[in-house]
Amino acid sequence: MGRSFDEELQYLERKTDYCWTIKKGFVPNMQVEGAFYVNSHLEKLMLEELRNSCRGGIGGFLPGVKQIANVAALPGIVKNSIGLPDVHSGYGFAIGNMAAFDMDDPESIVSPGGVGFDINCGVRLIRTNLDETDVTPVKEQLCQSLFDHIPVGVGSKGVIPMQAKDLNEALEMGVDWSLREGYAWAEDKEHCEEYGRLLQADPSKVSAKAKKRGLPQLGTLGAGNHYAEIQVVDEIFDKHAANKMGIDHKGQVCVMVHCGSRGLGHQVATDALVAMEKAMARDKIIVNDRQLACAHIKSAEGQDYLKGMFAAGNYAWVNRSSMTFLTRQAFGKVFNCPPDDLDMQLIYDVSHNIAKVEEHMVNGKQKTLLVHRKGSTRAFPPHHPLIPVDYQLTGQPVLIGGTMGTCSYVLTGTQHGMDTTFGTTCHGAGRALSRAKSRRNLDYQEVLDKLAEKGISIRVASPKLVMEEAPESYKDVTEVVNTCHEAGISKKAIKLRPIAVIKG
Amino acid sequence: MICRTLDRFETAALKFTASMENPVFIVVGGGIAGVSCAETINALEPSAKVVIISVSPLIKAVRNVQELTRTLASFDVDETSIKDYSDLHPNISIIHDIVKEIDSGEKFVVTGCGETLKYTKLCVCTGARQNVIFSDNKHVIGIRDTASAKELDRKLHNAERLVVVGNGGIAIELIFQIECCNVVWVIKDKAIGQVFFDPGASQFFLPILLNKKTDSSDMKRMTYKLEQSAATKAGHVTGGALGPDWHQNLQLAGQAGQTKEINIQYQAEVETLLSSDQVDHSEVDRKSNKSLWPVYAKLTNGKVLGCDFIVSATGVVPNTEVLTQLPCSFSEDGGVRIDENMRVTGLCGVYAAGDVCSTTAWQKKPHWHQMRLWTQARQMGMFAAQCMISHHKNIQTSNSSDCETPQDICFDLFAHATRFFGKRVILLGRYNAQGIEDSQGLEFLLRTTPGEEYIKVVMLNGRMQGAVLIGETDLEETFENLILNEIDLSMLGEDLLNPDVDITDYFD
Repeated sequence: MGRSFDEELQYLERKTDYCWTIKKGFVPNMQVEGAFYVNSHLEKLMLEELRNSCRGGIGGFLPGVKQIANVAALPGIVKNSIGLPDVHSGYGFAIGNMAAFDMDDPESIVSPGGVGFDINCGVRLIRTNLDETDVTPVKEQLCQSLFDHIPVGVGSKGVIPMQAKDLNEALEMGVDWSLREGYAWAEDKEHCEEYGRLLQADPSKVSAKAKKRGLPQLGTLGAGNHYAEIQVVDEIFDKHAANKMGIDHKGQVCVMVHCGSRGLGHQVATDALVAMEKAMARDKIIVNDRQLACAHIKSAEGQDYLKGMFAAGNYAWVNRSSMTFLTRQAFGKVFNCPPDDLDMQLIYDVSHNIAKVEEHMVNGKQKTLLVHRKGSTRAFPPHHPLIPVDYQLTGQPVLIGGTMGTCSYVLTGTQHGMDTTFGTTCHGAGRALSRAKSRRNLDYQEVLDKLAEKGISIRVASPKLVMEEAPESYKDVTEVVNTCHEAGISKKAIKLRPIAVIKG
Repeated sequence: MICRTLDRFETAALKFTASMENPVFIVVGGGIAGVSCAETINALEPSAKVVIISVSPLIKAVRNVQELTRTLASFDVDETSIKDYSDLHPNISIIHDIVKEIDSGEKFVVTGCGETLKYTKLCVCTGARQNVIFSDNKHVIGIRDTASAKELDRKLHNAERLVVVGNGGIAIELIFQIECCNVVWVIKDKAIGQVFFDPGASQFFLPILLNKKTDSSDMKRMTYKLEQSAATKAGHVTGGALGPDWHQNLQLAGQAGQTKEINIQYQAEVETLLSSDQVDHSEVDRKSNKSLWPVYAKLTNGKVLGCDFIVSATGVVPNTEVLTQLPCSFSEDGGVRIDENMRVTGLCGVYAAGDVCSTTAWQKKPHWHQMRLWTQARQMGMFAAQCMISHHKNIQTSNSSDCETPQDICFDLFAHATRFFGKRVILLGRYNAQGIEDSQGLEFLLRTTPGEEYIKVVMLNGRMQGAVLIGETDLEETFENLILNEIDLSMLGEDLLNPDVDITDYFD
């Protein structure tokens, strides 16, 4: 577009201390306005990012405000395209962008970019009745035990067999498969979004290549590259809500499991993007960004994606259930008692890369919406029928896993959030696109010359500095969570700090 | 010929009839492919009888498997005695003997001791042996396993200078680890490590290699390791085997004092070896004070170099002797041809995995190629086991011919994790643009910091084909996904590697 920063600013308006509006016209075809939640620091980062992009920015990466606005231009979108405080650059949709589409509008679309590649990447929190003082003396042993159980290999202890037939059942049944096979407790199902199973899932809509990527080599459910953290309660902000979750004192030990559908999700998303790009010309769908490839919800491509995406979602819940099972085994082994005796109950499980069909009030009327939550988390309020009975008075727990090694939070959903963001809040931390640092001219010319001898053209990226300080463009989880709290879209309940990390 | 008298229980146990209900799986070879195969059979079918026939008294054991990504794993390799391995794996029988003959029609093998053992399915995992140049010269040693590595260590102890011939993984690491000894490295390529690196990566490593301080210890060990196995019981033959840390238990130090000079001879081979009587001393390259060396190497580039001994790390030859009398076929590199379900083509019920086999009969894959590495030996051993069991069950249930087990995704994406020169190295896909004939639309993306990291990505028409990741980049899982996704990344250009962008998060 070539507008100056000042010109761009004309389209942005601060509505409240914590919320900005992006007006129509900021990008072409906006159907609704955009909105984003920030505090004063995060606001600076959002605007700096926009200013940098007016000066060229970083190549093919759009600033958050532009991505939010491009999503607001998608057909069938309702109310607002919303950026949560941790919003940052992502493929298609920004990460931390929520958008809901009216299922009754034939123009409404579904977009894989609005879910993410790691479908149903999510977090669950398991409590224990142990205290930090119980764990500290056996920490090494415990970590070793977890390590032995979770990253599985031939002959290691935590073998959960999964053959092709099992995979199909897991794709269809989600947590119900884990329950049937004895890897989950009955109460786990209750304490999971969708009860751990998206009913519209259809394994036949998951391609053979996706299944191949999802089937671990020996048929054991390896946990791969996400992580489990042993955490202790560091602070309790809402005693009543915490008690309902079985958390009653600082120093109480919990385990947070963070993983998704990995390669299988990636393939499901990729397959859909390819199919939808082809269909967009036929269906005359125009988008501002090619990465926002999408399809009408009711079209074959749209339905295929939803059913496949739900299956991938189920697979991720099986992954998290399996890690939970192995974690319970590991703890039981070290403390020499059954995991029941350690009260290792699942507090809750949330997804932060998913799209769901939900009922919401829009302008006083009840509507059925397809809500895309990418890098954002559902946060239903007290009395919502879809949350477990133990949380009816306090609201749905929302688990915010910080970056591995930093602190995590448990929040609860609020009515205000339900009213303004369709019951959505943040998911973690983020980073704004910063101005290109002036990087020392490091001497790698010889390396470049040698590589160039091959006669193939080379594009060079600027080098990473060895000792990178925490970038100033960092949106840290505490700040993000506080902003959501101040904005009233979720409430802080508990803060946790990690004492050990098991990277699978 | 090695032979061990089977005690009467073992003999009785083995003289069973291999039948449909009580299948017997025999694995020939106790290397990485062999143990991976045997252990996988045991894990999938605990009631099946599994036998490893090993000519070596040492069995390789894979430990501390760390799954880095879906296709990428790192692990340690130990060598354990047969007794210690048996103690750890009571359900796997081990026979210390050679296999003299295979009768694939009647399904039995004949061992060196003359025992006939019937099998239901057989997997040949006999590996490959080092190719030793001038092998009858007593001053040349080959290096491939613990025994030869220990011999090297012994000889090195009294040496001031040695010549290393070869440009593969062992040669690279050996040159780096040797202390107090001058080295002449003779390679027939233009750059070091060519099979692993492109010339840019070689150049990246050169200063690290040449400037290595005597007591540097760059090795970052995994935080949580399984204990060393029972293999460390006193009195048993053990030691670091050839995995990434193969040199850990060796001193690799010579007599040349604190200096260590590395002289690299590019695009050269050893033409001939001469004794001090035979050599023309006027031709000798005078780089040291010593005037008389035990052996002299005359190179194809004319140089004549004296040294204490020569190490030949010049590649491997598959051990296919046991199959040559059978109607199977062999590819150019000497490996026995297998189909996509690990079956030896031309035979029934016989499989092969690891260095002994060759995948030339497989459909060409866009992001995978065979390389004789321990990671592939393990993957092949495991997959062969899955196929053997699956095919056996199919015959049991349906009496139809073997049906196909779909290949694991690890054969769709080449992935290898190792360490060179103290740095973590990960190779993915077509990391050197191997086999990409059409160079239109081919492009490299590069990000490097001297001494710290080197990232090179191969792009073809905007799609990632492969990557070399040196240093702790944390990009392997993302890049594995991007290669397998095959999505168009051209809109990002080199910003894909921009350190100001969290690319992992972007594609989450």
